[in-house]
Amino acid sequence: MKKTDLFVIASIIVFILSLAYITALGGLGPLPPINVRRIAINYLNLTYNMFTPYLTVFALESVTSIVWDFRGLDTLYETAVFYAAIIASIALYRGVYIDFKKNIEKMGLSPIAKTVTRISLILIPTVAASVALHGHLTPGGGFQAGSIATVVIVLSIIIFSRYFLPIHGLSKNKALLFRSIGLLGIAVTSIALLLIAIVLGVNAYIFQNQAKIDAPLSFPSLVDNYILGGSLLFFNLFEFIAVAFGFTIVFLLLSISEEKVKKVTIDG
Amino acid sequence: MYINEIVVYIGEILVAIGVFCDLAASIGMLRFPNFYVRLHAATVGTIGGAFVPLIGIALIALGAEWLGTYRFFLAGASIITAIIIIILAPVGSHVLARATHRARLVKVEPKVVDHLEEDIKKKEGDENA
Repeated sequence: MKKTDLFVIASIIVFILSLAYITALGGLGPLPPINVRRIAINYLNLTYNMFTPYLTVFALESVTSIVWDFRGLDTLYETAVFYAAIIASIALYRGVYIDFKKNIEKMGLSPIAKTVTRISLILIPTVAASVALHGHLTPGGGFQAGSIATVVIVLSIIIFSRYFLPIHGLSKNKALLFRSIGLLGIAVTSIALLLIAIVLGVNAYIFQNQAKIDAPLSFPSLVDNYILGGSLLFFNLFEFIAVAFGFTIVFLLLSISEEKVKKVTIDG
Repeated sequence: MYINEIVVYIGEILVAIGVFCDLAASIGMLRFPNFYVRLHAATVGTIGGAFVPLIGIALIALGAEWLGTYRFFLAGASIITAIIIIILAPVGSHVLARATHRARLVKVEPKVVDHLEEDIKKKEGDENA
């Protein structure tokens, strides 16, 4: 072992120990309390609690309940930031067209890789759909499922060719359409009860999931003994669609060659 | 019924084989001389060290009657994961080996037979002729 190696190892150990010492003294901000905090106790009590029907979410997964019910409006704005970023990337690529080639048999990786990818291209959306539709029961949710589904896009671009998706009918504009449907679904779900309440002449809130003490409407939470989680199921489903196709647009645009993009963006 | 116990013992043997394969693969990753030989060790780790013990876990779950109906969920999930691994892992090593060979990053050594190189030479010969 060289002297420099010893020096590196010793300095790493000293760094970690001193960082631990500073943290233990509270030098990097106040220490978290050992007990479960009151807000956490409230979340855990109210996620699925049929004895407090005006406060509960009626879903089994508390993280999804927090994300799409307790602080749903916050998530809506996070989603809005993500879609603004995608719109910005589409605007940067304005005027760049995804060209079309028919004969892609000779492109891409070897036939072995292609055959197995054809099998896994079916498996991945299945996993993604199960993560999205069980988002209110088990860890997971719309964003995670959308990210899983995007693996299909990356795989098909690398293993077949970047012309594979446009040939099979998934153009940029179609992806944009589906992404918009997802966004519209989120918007409609967030004000659905409000619209019904206007017709019926009762009180309602935006982002309302279950009935509140002064707002009697609620999304279906239990159908035929299956827990649906009220609006969480719809939010997860539409977020899944929107995220998956949003990422699809970005990857389709990124796969265009640099020369071609520069020809449009610099030369006009 | 002894059948449950026998199934559990077979499953435990498979898990033990998996542990041995994982150990052998990790020693191989450290000790083998070059990329292609180390790729062999990696495949031992995925097939012997992941596929075989997953089948073993499925058998153990099927034999564990105290789990009730949940044992079928456990066994089903293990078998599906095992099938996915046995489909995907060979392709991963195939793609890695092929890409390395085509990029000529590593000398193929020790070499007994190299069909890919023969094919490339044949193709270049056809183009020159």
